[in-house]
Amino acid sequence: MDEQGCPRCKTTKYRNPSLKLMVNVCGHSLCDNCVDLLFIKGSGACPECGTAIRRSNFRYQIFEDAQVEKEIDIRKKILKDYNKKEEDFDSLREYNDYLEMIETIIYNLANGIDVEDTRRQVDSYKKENKDAIRKNQSKLSRDEEYLEMLIEEEEKTSSLRKQMIHDTEVLEKNKKRREKEALIDELMFSDMSAADILTMHKTTARPAEAVDNSSFQPSQTTRYSTGIQRGQQSGLIPMPMTEANPVYHYEDLELERCGPIYPTIDDIIEVGYLSNVRAASESERAGGFEATLCCQRALQDALGGLFYYPELAGQSTSVM
Amino acid sequence: MKLNIDGLLVYFPYDYIYPEQYLYMLELKKSIDAQGHCALEMPSGTGKTVSLLSLVVAYMKANPLEVTKLIYCSRTVPELEKVVEELRNLMAFYEKETGQPQEILGLALSSRKNLCVHPEVSQNRDGKTVDGQCHQLTASHIRQRYKHDPSIPICDFYEEFDAHGRDTPLPAGIYSLDDLKEYGRLKNFCPYFLARYALLHANVIIYSYYYLLDPKIAEQVSKELAKKSVVVFDEAHNIDNVCIESMSVKMSKRTLERCSANIETLDRHIKRVKDGDEKKLREEYHRMVEGLREANEQRETDVILANPVLPDEILQEAVPGTIRNAEHFVSFMKRFLEYMKSRLRVQHVVSESPPSFLKDCAQKICIDRKPLRFCAERLASLMRTLELTDLHDFSALTLLVNFATLVSTYAKGFMLIIEPFDDRTPTISNPVLYFSCMDASIAIKPVFDRFQTVVITSGTLSPLDMYPKILDFRPVTMATFTMTLARICICPMIVSKGNDQVAMSSKFEVREDVAVIRNYGTLLVDMCGTVPDGIVCFFTSYVYMVRIF
Repeated sequence: MDEQGCPRCKTTKYRNPSLKLMVNVCGHSLCDNCVDLLFIKGSGACPECGTAIRRSNFRYQIFEDAQVEKEIDIRKKILKDYNKKEEDFDSLREYNDYLEMIETIIYNLANGIDVEDTRRQVDSYKKENKDAIRKNQSKLSRDEEYLEMLIEEEEKTSSLRKQMIHDTEVLEKNKKRREKEALIDELMFSDMSAADILTMHKTTARPAEAVDNSSFQPSQTTRYSTGIQRGQQSGLIPMPMTEANPVYHYEDLELERCGPIYPTIDDIIEVGYLSNVRAASESERAGGFEATLCCQRALQDALGGLFYYPELAGQSTSVM
Repeated sequence: MKLNIDGLLVYFPYDYIYPEQYLYMLELKKSIDAQGHCALEMPSGTGKTVSLLSLVVAYMKANPLEVTKLIYCSRTVPELEKVVEELRNLMAFYEKETGQPQEILGLALSSRKNLCVHPEVSQNRDGKTVDGQCHQLTASHIRQRYKHDPSIPICDFYEEFDAHGRDTPLPAGIYSLDDLKEYGRLKNFCPYFLARYALLHANVIIYSYYYLLDPKIAEQVSKELAKKSVVVFDEAHNIDNVCIESMSVKMSKRTLERCSANIETLDRHIKRVKDGDEKKLREEYHRMVEGLREANEQRETDVILANPVLPDEILQEAVPGTIRNAEHFVSFMKRFLEYMKSRLRVQHVVSESPPSFLKDCAQKICIDRKPLRFCAERLASLMRTLELTDLHDFSALTLLVNFATLVSTYAKGFMLIIEPFDDRTPTISNPVLYFSCMDASIAIKPVFDRFQTVVITSGTLSPLDMYPKILDFRPVTMATFTMTLARICICPMIVSKGNDQVAMSSKFEVREDVAVIRNYGTLLVDMCGTVPDGIVCFFTSYVYMVRIF
């Protein structure tokens, strides 16, 4: 893997295969000893290209080709901002054009073509779509969700299977132990000869080994507890259609008054009950209370139940 | 002799017939009538091939609208030759009995290596080099250039075939590989393309499993075969292996190193074409943008890289924007290659499923599933645009691209295994990646769906009820036949030492030893002297049989 040596202290690579290469944003690599030496201060210049870089930007190199590392770095940064998913576009063609634009930007930045223009383009895009970027940051595209679901399913199946194997093993062990104990008990307390007991146990033990090979089917959890189908991306659940019930018809409420008829609002105003009631203040009227309403309530209280005679309650069933 | 099998008149080319052959033909007729699949087992040496051929040919003659073709698939070229001989025998019998010339066209098809008659190209031993050279002489852009510049070498046989071969159809008869070569030399046609063209109107086709099962090859060769055909898989006990192999990929570190060399070459070609004549690249780019699929009437000589996934898994969409441009595609492949290299640098065995592999891939190098699915197509289109003819040079890159397409298309039924050490050298670090198909039914599913009757037959197909489960099909009949013997004549005996006390074994390592050969010969001769009637002797291979005699 490390046929390339550290460009600075060249020999040390071959002598010490455990030394790791670290790479920075400019795409040039250094072994970690050299990084320590050169960047004690925290920032300095790259020994090959002279760009100013900081120590904190050094990462361990995963890929052999430093050019690829640099490109991936740039790509990750750009994709953090250009994070629209396929669902945000109206047609496939637009989405593909958008993807191609991203590729061109990354290609230019990685190969040093039109760097200034590209950076300006990126900055202007960032400014325009700041909200959209923030909103999309945590959203997973449909594809990624599908993959996640598959991975979860696999993990669950394998853990269930392991659990089942473990359970069957435990059962087996317990059964064996119990049989042995039963055998010993019989030998101790029974009157039959030892050979008979042994043969009897052997013959009963053999058929009891009927392994129930119920085929292992993990119950497919396809529904969440709320009844939403798993894996469904659209949040629209069709409203449960009730059969055509007879349309609801409003009927006036029948008040059961055991007394004379209550005066209506108009009566109250005409007849003059209002003069015996305090007028509503500004704040009370703003709240919706009018003097007529309170008067009506009081009158209802007074007149209701006047015809009620306890001794006649058992006889009469009709109410006025 | 003439037989009546359930109302059908069958001509059987021998005077006597074994009872199991008769039963075999009955079962076969039942499943062809029902237009369903079947699995039949009959021991080797009981004349399976001839009973099969005679029944299906009789059925084709009696009901030419129900069954239009017989497609016979076997494993090795000697087996194909044997079947052709049996068919020829059968046809000769038909002519003798009915006195009329037969109108049946039967032919065998094999790779270019076995059918090429070009004096230089056919000299090569290796099949891949023959393919590459053939392609160099017959590719459509080369032929275009020949029209302007007669000094460019092309294949005369193909030119002759292209001009006249399609008008004069192959006359009726049975053609083995040698017969096709003879005919080709006589008429100056290319036997390989002639055979491929004749597949369409032949009645009996005999070729190898891969032409039907491997998606890469099946698309080119067997795309237009009629639905009303009977497909027979002979020696089908390892058909699940063939299915699994055709969808599996194995890559070692060396493959990846050759891949990076390939990518460099590709890059250089692109730069060269860019400097010279950008028009082609721009045209290709426009085609990608518009989403035009490659024109279906592709010239038969041009299809060099096929899609390794089944046809119904190929997305019928436009190529995604990330790999439209040729340079972007090259850097895409570079990133993927680097990621594969980093994955192979493990110190312990890793076993992973495709979804988690894809997730890791997306995290580390920001490559999604969709562009990976289009890798194979994109590379094929790029190679066509750059007019690269020698596919042999790019075999490593082709492997990587096939792997990428397969891993992103199939989420279930595949497993990725990375081993740090090879089997044979357990201490030297030689990491190997296996992308194996676990499900044999994936590759064979289109065959079962498309053809009306598929027959799985072999001498050793036990346990028989395992095959419908493995291959996921519902057979109309499943039957096992045994050999009928006139008297008790099986006496199992294992001979481990010869007359001169030399340990005899037909193990591969010792079977070539002169002493072993001599001992087997003497044993056979002595047995012939003692056993009455005749002897049937099974050898490990035809070559070995010749050695012993």
